Amino acid sequence: MKDHRENIFRIIITIGAMLSSVLVLLVFFYILKESIPFFKEAKFSDYILGDSWSPLSSKQSYSFLPMILATLYISFLAIIIATPLSVGCSLLLSFNAHKKHTRIILSFIDMIAGIPSVIFGFLGLVILVKFLEKNLNMVTGESVLAGGILLSVMLFPYIVTGCTETFIKGKKIYYAASQSLGVSKWYTMRKIMLPFAANSIFVNMLLAFGRAIGETMAVMMVAGNSPIFPKLLGRAETIPSLIALEMGTATYKSIHYSSLYGAGLILIIIILIIQLLAYMLNKTGMRRF
Amino acid sequence: MKLKDLLFKLWVIFSGIIIISVTMGLFLYLLYKGIGVVSPEFIFDSPKGIPLGRSGGIFPAIIGSLMSGLISGLLGGLLGLCTAVYLTFYCYSEIIRKYILLALQCLAGIPSVVIGLFGYTFLIVGLGMNKSLLSASITLTIMIIPFIAIRMKKALEETSKEQYISSLSLGIPKGYTIVKLVIPNAFKYIMTSLGLGIVFAMGATAPIMFTGAVIISNVPGKLTDPFMALPYHLYILVNEGLSVEMAYGTAFVLIVVVLAINIICHFIGSYEDM
Repeated sequence: MKDHRENIFRIIITIGAMLSSVLVLLVFFYILKESIPFFKEAKFSDYILGDSWSPLSSKQSYSFLPMILATLYISFLAIIIATPLSVGCSLLLSFNAHKKHTRIILSFIDMIAGIPSVIFGFLGLVILVKFLEKNLNMVTGESVLAGGILLSVMLFPYIVTGCTETFIKGKKIYYAASQSLGVSKWYTMRKIMLPFAANSIFVNMLLAFGRAIGETMAVMMVAGNSPIFPKLLGRAETIPSLIALEMGTATYKSIHYSSLYGAGLILIIIILIIQLLAYMLNKTGMRRF
Repeated sequence: MKLKDLLFKLWVIFSGIIIISVTMGLFLYLLYKGIGVVSPEFIFDSPKGIPLGRSGGIFPAIIGSLMSGLISGLLGGLLGLCTAVYLTFYCYSEIIRKYILLALQCLAGIPSVVIGLFGYTFLIVGLGMNKSLLSASITLTIMIIPFIAIRMKKALEETSKEQYISSLSLGIPKGYTIVKLVIPNAFKYIMTSLGLGIVFAMGATAPIMFTGAVIISNVPGKLTDPFMALPYHLYILVNEGLSVEMAYGTAFVLIVVVLAINIICHFIGSYEDM
C-alpha cells in the first residue's frame, strides 16, 4: 500500500517536471521554427544593412539595425547611469549604516524590483518626459535619454542587492584585519573593497544589462517608438517595443510575422550571450577568492 | 591623496542619497497622487464615460488581474514545485538534470514580450483558442515556470540534508519524507517564491496584451471569457491619453494588490513556523 503511494507520488512529480521541460522546449523550437522563413527569405544585407523598417510599404524592407542599436543604446545608457550610483549606495549601506537600517532599506529597494514595469512607464511619462520637455527645450520629451534614465531606476534594485551581498562578504573577510592595522574605514572601502568586488560588480552589471535589453513596457512608453537611428535626444524604438507594437497587425505566416520572430530570436541570442559571459566571469571570480 | 579620499566619500554619500530618495520619492509620489482618486466607487464600479475609462471604476480589472494571477500561480506553482522536487530528489541522471536546468535558465532570459508573441501565435492563431482568461493564464504560466522553479529548487536545497538522510535511513519512504519533512521545512521559501511568481505574472503587460486582456469587458464568468487586467488598463489609459487621474488611481491599486499578495504569501509561509 505504502509502496503504491510512493510510486504515484513519484510519477506525478516526474510528469510535472517533464511537462514544464516540454513547455520550455516547445517555446524555443517554436521561436526557431517561425523565424526560419524570415532568415531564408531576407538576405543578410537586407535585415542588417537595409534602408529602413517598412514592412507594409510596396517595397518591403526589414532592417533591424536601428532597433538593435536603439536597444543597445538605451540599455547601455541605463547601465552607465545605474552602476556607479548603485555601487556607491551599496558601499554606503554595507559600511556606514546600522545593520538594522541596512536590512530595512534593502527590503524597500527590493520591493521596488517588484513594481510592474508599466507603472514605471507611466511615472516616467508624467514625471521624466515632462521634465525633459520643460528643461531641455525638446519638442517631445520621449527620447533615448528618457528611456535610459527610467531604465536605470528600474535596474537600481538588482545591482544594489547584488553588490551589497558581495561587500558584506568582503567585509567579513578583510574588515577586522584592516581595522586592526589602523587603516581607516574609507580607505579600506576604496583600496580593498572595490578591487575585491570588481569582478562581482562587473557580473552584476552584465546581468542588469541582460535584463535591460528585454524590458518592454517601460521603455516603450517613454522612448517614442520611431524606427529610426537612435540619437540621445531623439525618438527610438527598441526590439521589444517593435514586437509588442506590431504583433497584432502582422498577418499570420507572412514575412512580416516571421520577421518579428526573427527580431525576438536576435534579442534572445544577445541576452544568452550576455548571461553566458556573466556566468563564466562569475565562475572565474569565485576561483580567485 | 586627501582629495581622492574626499571625492570617494562624496561619491558614496551622494549616490546613496540619490538612490534612496529616488526610490522612496517615486513610491510616495504614487501613493500621494493615487490615494486621492481611490474611493469605493472607483474600486467597485466598472469603467464609464466617453470614451470608456474616463470615469467610473476599475472593478473588472481588479478581479481579472486577481483571477489571472491566481490561475497562473496555481499552474506555475504546481509545475514549478514538481520540477524543483524532481531536480533535487528524483533526477538520477546528471545529464538530464543539466539540460533541464539549462533550458529553465534560458527560458528565464527570454523577454516577456517574446513569450507574449509565442502565446499569441501559438495559442490564439495556431490552436484557434479565444482571447481568454485561459490563454492569457497559460502564457503567464510559461513565463513564471522558470522563475518559480529556480527559486523553489534553491529553497529545497537549503533545507537540512541530514534530516532527509536520517529519515531515509529510518526506513521512511522517500516520497513520504519529502511531503512530510522537506516541503514543510522549506514551506516559507516555497510560499515566498510563489508570491513573487504571482506578482510577476500580475504585473506583466506584454504577455497578455494579445492573449486575453481587452480594453473593456465584464468580470469574466468562465475561463474562456476575455478579461480586463490592471496593468493593461493602466497602459491603455496612459497610451490613449484617456485620463491621467484614473491612471494614478489604477497604478495605486495595482501596487497595493501586488504588495498585499507579497505580504500574504510571506505571512502564510511564516505561519507554519509558529
